[in-house]
Amino acid sequence: MLKLPLSRRVIVKALLLGSAAPWVITSRGFAATSCEDHIVRIASVAAPDTMNPFATWSSFWPLAFTYDFLVGVDAQRYSDRKGFAKEWSVADDNLTWTFKIWPGMKWSDGQPATARDAAFTYEYLRDSVGKPEELNVGWNNTSGLENVESIKALDDETLQIVTKIPTRWPLDNWTMIVPAHVWKNISYKDARGSFLNAPPLIGTGPMIVAEFQPGQFVRYSSNQYFRAGQPAAAGMIEQLFSSADSIAQGLKSGSLDYGAGLTAAQYADLSNDPDIAVGESPIEQRNFLAFNTSSEKGAGSTKALQDPAFRDAIGYAIDQMAIVKRALRGHAAPGVGLVMPVSTDFYSDLSDIRRHFDLAEAGRRLDAAGYRDNDGDGVREDKEGNSFQLELITGPTSGTIEMPIAAVQLIAGWLGQIGIPVSVTQLDSGALKARYADPTNGGGGWDLLVGSDWPSPAPRDLLNLGSSKVSGTRNRSYWSNEKFDKILAELDVTVDLKKSQQLVDRAARLIYAEAPYIILCYPFLLEARRKDCFDSWGTKDAVSQWGYFPLDRLRPHNG
Amino acid sequence: MASTQIGSGTSQHIGRIITRAIVTLVMVATLNFILFRIIPGDPASLLLGGARSSVTAEQMVAQQQNWGLDRPLFPDQVVDYLWATLHGDLGFSFKFRGRQVTDLILERLPATIALVGVAQLIAIAVGVMLGLYAGWRRGRAVDHIATGASLALYSTPSFWLGMILIVIFSTTLGWLPGYGAYSPGATIGSLGWLPDYLRHLALPVTAVALGLIGQYVVVARAAMSEVVTEDYMVTARAKGLTNGQMLMRHAFRNAMLPVVTLITLNLGYVVAGAITVEAVFAWPGIGGLTVEALNARDYPVLQGIFLLLGASIVVANLLADVAYGLLDPRVR
Repeated sequence: MLKLPLSRRVIVKALLLGSAAPWVITSRGFAATSCEDHIVRIASVAAPDTMNPFATWSSFWPLAFTYDFLVGVDAQRYSDRKGFAKEWSVADDNLTWTFKIWPGMKWSDGQPATARDAAFTYEYLRDSVGKPEELNVGWNNTSGLENVESIKALDDETLQIVTKIPTRWPLDNWTMIVPAHVWKNISYKDARGSFLNAPPLIGTGPMIVAEFQPGQFVRYSSNQYFRAGQPAAAGMIEQLFSSADSIAQGLKSGSLDYGAGLTAAQYADLSNDPDIAVGESPIEQRNFLAFNTSSEKGAGSTKALQDPAFRDAIGYAIDQMAIVKRALRGHAAPGVGLVMPVSTDFYSDLSDIRRHFDLAEAGRRLDAAGYRDNDGDGVREDKEGNSFQLELITGPTSGTIEMPIAAVQLIAGWLGQIGIPVSVTQLDSGALKARYADPTNGGGGWDLLVGSDWPSPAPRDLLNLGSSKVSGTRNRSYWSNEKFDKILAELDVTVDLKKSQQLVDRAARLIYAEAPYIILCYPFLLEARRKDCFDSWGTKDAVSQWGYFPLDRLRPHNG
Repeated sequence: MASTQIGSGTSQHIGRIITRAIVTLVMVATLNFILFRIIPGDPASLLLGGARSSVTAEQMVAQQQNWGLDRPLFPDQVVDYLWATLHGDLGFSFKFRGRQVTDLILERLPATIALVGVAQLIAIAVGVMLGLYAGWRRGRAVDHIATGASLALYSTPSFWLGMILIVIFSTTLGWLPGYGAYSPGATIGSLGWLPDYLRHLALPVTAVALGLIGQYVVVARAAMSEVVTEDYMVTARAKGLTNGQMLMRHAFRNAMLPVVTLITLNLGYVVAGAITVEAVFAWPGIGGLTVEALNARDYPVLQGIFLLLGASIVVANLLADVAYGLLDPRVR
């Protein structure tokens, strides 16, 4: 009989190790699931790279919690939400803007935060224009500053921006106001690249980045000098994930207070948990089918893609309602025009010209436009006599909610039914970006693209999908239209909201009729929060995607 | 005289292995460079932002110039890369805005070594013992159970095992944390840090170790099953040796040869980590860095990581060759 080589010494060692296990398992030294420490625990599917707002597009939340925008989206939408400026106005000439900065505001290190810091931030950017190290690679960038005549701090509480043309840029820019006493000694070369702005940061937001561990978490401390009073929460931890699975599990176990970017299945599961409140927030994302309209280098496999009548006919073969119900399980609004309903200031109701799903009508329109099945093989031919075989490329876009592949399969199925076979190529975000890049940068050669973007609610941004200036980056279809570009140019020099709305409506109707894009849906952001640790989440969208609200005003439960 | 010849033979054998390893490493370095440039995707456009940014063609060109991506691939970029690598300079990260690749890798390496290293040690201890015992008791119930369970574990994706472990031990029972390496705010090296770190390490280590245990059991069992049928084992039994003496003096040593090879080769994968397990547990190791770098087409970081992985596997192979040569003179 075999004897296991177990000596008395081995047994004692095993017992000692075993006795340590409960201590390790039950160690409360750093327990992550307690409400008692009053720390808000949130989660995001994100990979921040640096805390330097001049060098990154990837660290939005850490930076937005720390630094304020001068005005920003939230301050324009809600009266109880503000940024670096308390109030603002524009003179009758529509060129001279005056911003009143919060009196007595301080940076998180106790130094006064004044109009001079705001002026410094804009001047710092403006001075870099035209230099080899121009600051144009992050949230704080020089875009729009070409239209600025002067930026002056009239006193500690008054900032004046004079523009060369009437423009809403002073309200809509995405510049995070940084402290002059930190940034005045940073060279443009460093600000653009190697300066990491290592924590602890110095900002005016409610939660200041105190520690950043790439790939793990961002830890925030509450700002004792926050203009509305130190937040009631003791601090915040943003846990970084590469998928939403861990977020759902973290919410269920109680180790997270808030998580966004959930899938429909996770949302349904969490909605059954009595300790968790779920929500779906309309956001500015739009998912679309783009046609490669290029007629030169990088053109698609058929000239039909350049024909508005062909694209219009395809529009009748897309059932947006079915995409919402079947692919997104109802967590989206069906797509129509370029502007999404949540962007209330500029939303265009296109119901009078809206296409309705009708495969027979799509077939009739294709026939009428000259794209028939002449040889009776079930596949239509283009005007050159070639049978259609379109390549549809798709994949995730960084920073947006991923479109389920089921939507692409539905589209391919409908197009197949009207005699236009489609082969689907699925790519990762980097490869997709390379394929839809401007043909001069090596992109093109595809036919259809299912993708998404998430513009800001600023009118220019909403219409960029059709702007020839950003072809191959924001404009995925390479569509170029003089009339559309002219409207955009007019919009750029318009301050009046009503006139801006009219211009956006004209542009939205024009691009809808020309159909370089078929808007598929406007997905909702699925989010969930636990009820047991914090109150005052509010009734608006649970957490702003454009700032830090309402995390600045959360109160510990019964605290 | 005879010992000198043996010594010279061993030296030549090791010399050949080292030369082969160096050539392989140079090939790995060159392939690294080519491989990541074949993948579609332009780092400049990825650096210039996500879905909310507006980017012009001029900005794109400026970005390419900034990171030297506008220069010809051959010879400029490839020669620079090989020359710098030879001098231990792995370059600067695109995504992490100019940080040294070496620093980034060294920051993440300890977490991966802790995860996969501990998992390997557990798997070697449990898997090898269980496998040898199953082989020794071939055909008995313990053999059937150990072999069946091992095959099931071996064929189960470790990330799926990880998810199941999270659901059971983190979400349902609440015993252990399901993500991260330590609680935010903990001071690394402080008294409370170690138990906190071990709590975080427990589930990912288990997920990786379970898969490896299956692998070791299968190999060790097969080796032992072969050994027990050898003539010298029958002779040993005929000489009146006990089971324990036969196991420890004859069977164990002979069965360990393929097991030692597997252990040595697996050591090469300690730094390769477990990318999917790291993703499931948000473990801040080399796997997570690889995913982030891949998404950003961060060529220098990817090159650095793959060079490290290639080197560790080449070195592990080298050690396996040397060990094999020392253990079995017929190999020399």
